[in-house]
Amino acid sequence: MVRRAWRIMRGWRWPGVLSRILAAVVGGYALGALVAIACALLLPFARSEAVITGMMLSFAAYAGAVLWAFAARSAWRAWAGLLLPALLLAAASWVGRPA
Amino acid sequence: MAALALGLAYAGFLLLSLAMDRHHRELLGGAPPRVRRLACRLGGAASLGLSILPCFALWGWSIGPVAWCGVLTLAAFGLVALLAFAPRAALLLAPLLPAVGFTAWFGLD
Amino acid sequence: MKQGFRQCMAWLHTWAGLIPGWILFAVFLTGTASYYRGEISAWMRPDLRFEGSAPEATTLAVRELQRIAPDAVSWLIGVPTAADPLIRLYWRPKQERRFRDAILDPATGRVAERGESKGGEFFYRFHFELHLPPIWGRWIVGACAMAMLVAILSGVITHRRIFADFFTFRPGKAAGRSWLDAHNALAVLALPYHLVITYTGLITLMTMYMPWGVQLAYKGNQQAFLAEALAFTAPPRPAGQPAPLTDMAPLLATALERWPEAGVRRISVQWPGDANATIILSRGDGPELAIRRRELVFAGSSGELRDATGRDAPAVLTAGTALRLHFGRFEGPVLRGLFLLSGLAGTAMVGTGLVLWAAKRAPKGAARRGFGLRLVEALNMGTVFGLPLAMLGFFWANRLLPAALPLRAEWEIRVFFALWLLAYLHAALRPGRRGWAEQAGVAALLGLLLPVLNLLTTHHHLGVTLPAGDWLLAGMDLGLAGFGLAFALAALKLWRAPQRAAVPLGRMRAEGA
Repeated sequence: MVRRAWRIMRGWRWPGVLSRILAAVVGGYALGALVAIACALLLPFARSEAVITGMMLSFAAYAGAVLWAFAARSAWRAWAGLLLPALLLAAASWVGRPA
Repeated sequence: MAALALGLAYAGFLLLSLAMDRHHRELLGGAPPRVRRLACRLGGAASLGLSILPCFALWGWSIGPVAWCGVLTLAAFGLVALLAFAPRAALLLAPLLPAVGFTAWFGLD
Repeated sequence: MKQGFRQCMAWLHTWAGLIPGWILFAVFLTGTASYYRGEISAWMRPDLRFEGSAPEATTLAVRELQRIAPDAVSWLIGVPTAADPLIRLYWRPKQERRFRDAILDPATGRVAERGESKGGEFFYRFHFELHLPPIWGRWIVGACAMAMLVAILSGVITHRRIFADFFTFRPGKAAGRSWLDAHNALAVLALPYHLVITYTGLITLMTMYMPWGVQLAYKGNQQAFLAEALAFTAPPRPAGQPAPLTDMAPLLATALERWPEAGVRRISVQWPGDANATIILSRGDGPELAIRRRELVFAGSSGELRDATGRDAPAVLTAGTALRLHFGRFEGPVLRGLFLLSGLAGTAMVGTGLVLWAAKRAPKGAARRGFGLRLVEALNMGTVFGLPLAMLGFFWANRLLPAALPLRAEWEIRVFFALWLLAYLHAALRPGRRGWAEQAGVAALLGLLLPVLNLLTTHHHLGVTLPAGDWLLAGMDLGLAGFGLAFALAALKLWRAPQRAAVPLGRMRAEGA
């Protein structure tokens, strides 16, 4: 199984793999951070509660992003799949930011 | 009462394993007939479910489920080790453990 | 596409598991040891155990802190419990950024000066700081924990026969197969533990790893955030006028009345000796699952109750539950034993995963091994057997180093790292089965002979502790000897020429049928 996986990965070529790793590590963290921020600013809880909820959920988002970065059909799709929700979260946080 | 929880969890996992071809073949020979397979599944699930009750009684509503997870893990590890190294004992232990648990519960506690 | 997806996840599982694997093994093992950190510390300072009540301990501690640090910025007193029976003193002198710490000798009422040791605190700190500068250590461990989370999730996705192979372990099969079975069983059967311990581990340091919510919602003011989340209030600034500290006993009585089950675990005093001194009593763990931070704040000079802090909002309680699950601070030997076993299962899961990686890639026959494989094999041996060996050596150092040695606690740690380094060197020089057997043999000796060493060097050996029913110290001795026994069995099995294990009876019948 792993050996077969190797062969597939070799078919990916290294720039693609590196790009995915970058998407997973950096993009995943950014997405997690944006989840934390969006929860902190948008959730209709007390401020401290919203912040804590966001922090706790952010790691799930990070882990999901890493899985996605390696599951996507191409490195481009991996990046797109991370950037789109990141932009949405950023936009929503900007619009809903407290005055 | 911890022994009772462990015994019920162990019996439950053993029944579930007996519903699977490989382990049924190892312990009793042949593939399980359909009725027995179903009975093993139901009995196993019921026994696993029951094993949470002593955990509630012993550790309370909030910590009980945490302890239950640990008990399930321990029972499953015990069963896997016995299946690999002493399959006969795996079968013998199933009625013994809950029995010991019950006596410990009523007798000593 | 589905096939491709599984294989991508397999690739991810392999590398997200291997690269941080050695650190994860150390984090898991020292974390498991930390479940008993109070007991380990007590074993290492057996003469300093305190068996009296919390108010008695407090009186002793305050008297000594008043003697050694009357002008400190703050004091902190760790009140002893059954599982952590040492009176711990911490104080921060003016013009210093860090707390100093010491253990109080209840016999003399003074700070203990001989036989200095970090005890269980060393393993506990190593578990999340790796004995590096805290910032570095915590970020590295956090990154490894994140990789662990990814490895667990991708592992579950990869494991196609998760239910069909639920109870499967075939020790007699080819090496790769048996290791895979063991890795699967250890991972799947304790999966709730692995997931929870990894995720809650990230939560323990989440304000460091994910500070962005606080950055935006509180403009980066961490204090303001904590004050709101836990309903803290900042203690008043010093008045600059001296005033004696009030008697603690009535304050403790007030606290114990409020928290009859949980008790008082920590006492902190801000600006002791000043007219604006503040005394803060923190509650211990209650019978409920979540850790609820509760504090009673008293005026230091009058003893008047100023404030009762703590909130039960849902997110705070969720975080408190996560912390309790991670710290495993539960009462009773059964529950703590289950956490110990689960921790060992986690350690073994990482260990078997590392060994499996190498076993799968080992060339058949006498073909040359590449550098990568040899490196992984040496790191595996030096970590999987070398770390427990070094940890047992830490216990030996505690008994063998002279009590009056300057920087004694530091020397214990040096011995630990020296042994661990030796284990890596040995692993590099003696690859293969013999190397593993030798390290297991040394670890076995260190573990099995520890009660003997204890007999020769202290008055707290099994001959005394067992008849006295002192299960804390006796349990440590027996438990460590138990690890020695396990290593002895491993060493024997490894030392014998590699051979197929006997086919179990059940399987013979199955194959005959």
